[in-house]
Amino acid sequence: MKKIMMILFVSLIAIGLAGCSSDENVIEFWTPLTGDDGAYMNELVDEYNEQSEQELEIKHVITSDMYTKLYTVMNSGSGIPDLTLIHADRVPSFAKQDLLEPMTSIMEAQSELNEDNYLSEAWTAGIVDGTQYTIPLDIHGSAMYYNKDLLAKYGVEHFLDDDIVTYDEMLSLEGKLDEGDYVVNDALMGWVILAQIQNLGGDIQIDGEPAVNTPEMKQAIEQTKAIADAGLMTPYGEDGYLMFQSGNVLFSTDGTWSSTGHAQVESLNFGVTNIYSFEPDTFHNRASSHLFSMMNNEERTDEKEAVIGDFLEYIRENSIKWAEAGQIVASKEVNESPEYEKYMQSFFTKNEAEEDSLHIYTYEHYPYVAEAIDTYIADLVHGEMDIDEGLKEMQKVVDDKVAEGSLDIENAETDAEE
Amino acid sequence: MKKKMNLSPIFFVGPHIILFIVFILLPSLYGIYASFTQWNLVGDPVWVGLDNYKTILFDQDSTFHYQFINGMKNTFIFVGISVPLMIIIPLLIAVALEHKGVKMKSFFQSIIYVPGLISISAAALIWSLIFNKQLGVVNNLFGSDTVWSATQPFAWIVIFVITIWAGVGGNMIIYRASINGVPKDLYESAQIDGAGPIRQFFSITLPSIRFPLIYTLVMTTAGAFNVFAQPLMMTAGGPRQGTTVLMMYIRDLAFSSGESIAGIASAMAVLLGVVILIISALQYYLMNRNAS
Repeated sequence: MKKIMMILFVSLIAIGLAGCSSDENVIEFWTPLTGDDGAYMNELVDEYNEQSEQELEIKHVITSDMYTKLYTVMNSGSGIPDLTLIHADRVPSFAKQDLLEPMTSIMEAQSELNEDNYLSEAWTAGIVDGTQYTIPLDIHGSAMYYNKDLLAKYGVEHFLDDDIVTYDEMLSLEGKLDEGDYVVNDALMGWVILAQIQNLGGDIQIDGEPAVNTPEMKQAIEQTKAIADAGLMTPYGEDGYLMFQSGNVLFSTDGTWSSTGHAQVESLNFGVTNIYSFEPDTFHNRASSHLFSMMNNEERTDEKEAVIGDFLEYIRENSIKWAEAGQIVASKEVNESPEYEKYMQSFFTKNEAEEDSLHIYTYEHYPYVAEAIDTYIADLVHGEMDIDEGLKEMQKVVDDKVAEGSLDIENAETDAEE
Repeated sequence: MKKKMNLSPIFFVGPHIILFIVFILLPSLYGIYASFTQWNLVGDPVWVGLDNYKTILFDQDSTFHYQFINGMKNTFIFVGISVPLMIIIPLLIAVALEHKGVKMKSFFQSIIYVPGLISISAAALIWSLIFNKQLGVVNNLFGSDTVWSATQPFAWIVIFVITIWAGVGGNMIIYRASINGVPKDLYESAQIDGAGPIRQFFSITLPSIRFPLIYTLVMTTAGAFNVFAQPLMMTAGGPRQGTTVLMMYIRDLAFSSGESIAGIASAMAVLLGVVILIISALQYYLMNRNAS
């Protein structure tokens, strides 16, 4: 009896461990796409597998905390996925840590996977020191939705004539709104500020060092605070996104993907435009991008790479489905097709000026900067905290994280030896 | 005669031991090791000795020192207020349900217990709508104008409400079960001696359920120190990092979108673990001594 139990026990463990090893006939494709996005990607992968004549199949694995898992498998060296979908802001640090395999061989095999066939901002987000590490799927970023009925009610439809709503235009509504109505909400405020920094000609780094406490940052926050001070911004701590959907806010500064959510609100008559700006002729929309990448893995066979190339080429030609998720599809073949025009986000690719307005930050320590902005921005814009004090603290937080997080391991070892 | 080794016990405790070693013991040991290193989760950890602890505890200028002190302070506020409530309220409910006049005891017990089974994230979404200024029941019912999650002390109140709503059921079940185990003749003889309900509660009920009380106190306290989801979902740590608990800082340092700062995060986690250990041991010692 004991022997039988022992055998059962050992075989159970063996089965469990066997489940961990990767399947040679499947291409593991990890994405952090939860919710509807994941379902759209599933459809794309299924469609590819159905039409594909390749022996290998793509297996889409949705992992909500993908980056943590990626760190784990890269550290252990086993279970590394064959293909991953990562965000643009990860590329510089992943490349620096030597986690990514260049796309060179894939691009050689698939000649259409080249810069000319994609939105330039998405394509260049994958370049680090002249090497192409990623192939883009989309750009997703800030967008400003407007409530058509409210614009008509207050007689300000002309704000949209040039596709740019300025601070001055918004401030001109001071004292003219009914109680409970607001000009703009504070959704994704951090991204709005990052767009303003570009509008003012600033940056978040100076010579590679993080620059948060800058005149441009201060001006951007002060000007945005002026809207809040004038009572035109949805109040501190309230759900501005929901208030826009309930028809009390003229403009909502959220993401390109929100169009699907807004469309589900029957009474909401809305459109999309650029994030507000200082001047009508300078405007930016802070963006990010989903990028296909291959984590460094010696076990990835040439055969697998060939199928990955084939899959990426299929996506380039057929990713119109991805537009349904509200994303700006990076492939020009898709975003220049007549079918794409029916999607609201086609606004951002309708001309060169719009394409140029999409800005992806590629600074190595961008994530630390963005985190600091997100932590402090609501308190600063709503006057809960002094701006100078806040900027100083933000700069300190980022500096300390950079000093601690970007350890040059070789140097540290030398220091320790000394 | 050669003594035959009996393997059966190993099969019973084996699975637990294996899971404990793989998922608790080894990660904990590695976490303690990581706290003495500088590590980004990908490369090899670099030994830095006590540097992380020095920074966190003594470097007044460091962001990490501020985060640790602020996170610890907020965690203590949460523990200090929520733990007594999570002990006293379930105890009162459990005692109240024992009253002869209460009908449908199981029904009430279920109603109080069910919230604990709901995922805290789903519950937080519902509660954030209940406390929503425009749409929320609370503001509309009481005609108040408060933005709950952005004003102190209301941000804390929201967190306590959801914590207690979700947490009282578990302790209440334990108290009910242990109160049921107290011999009825003790109460009867106390009644004959003229003891009223309050006297009975303090002289019979409380001493009889001493061990469940110690157990729930220690477990609730340890759980409360690890608070994370409620402030994250309800207030996002605001206003002005006033409800950012230590676990939120630890997670942000180790697993946010920037390069991981796992060494400092591990050191903070170890310090939090030490605090939990000391306080639990103290509680256990005090309650045991007073009770015996």
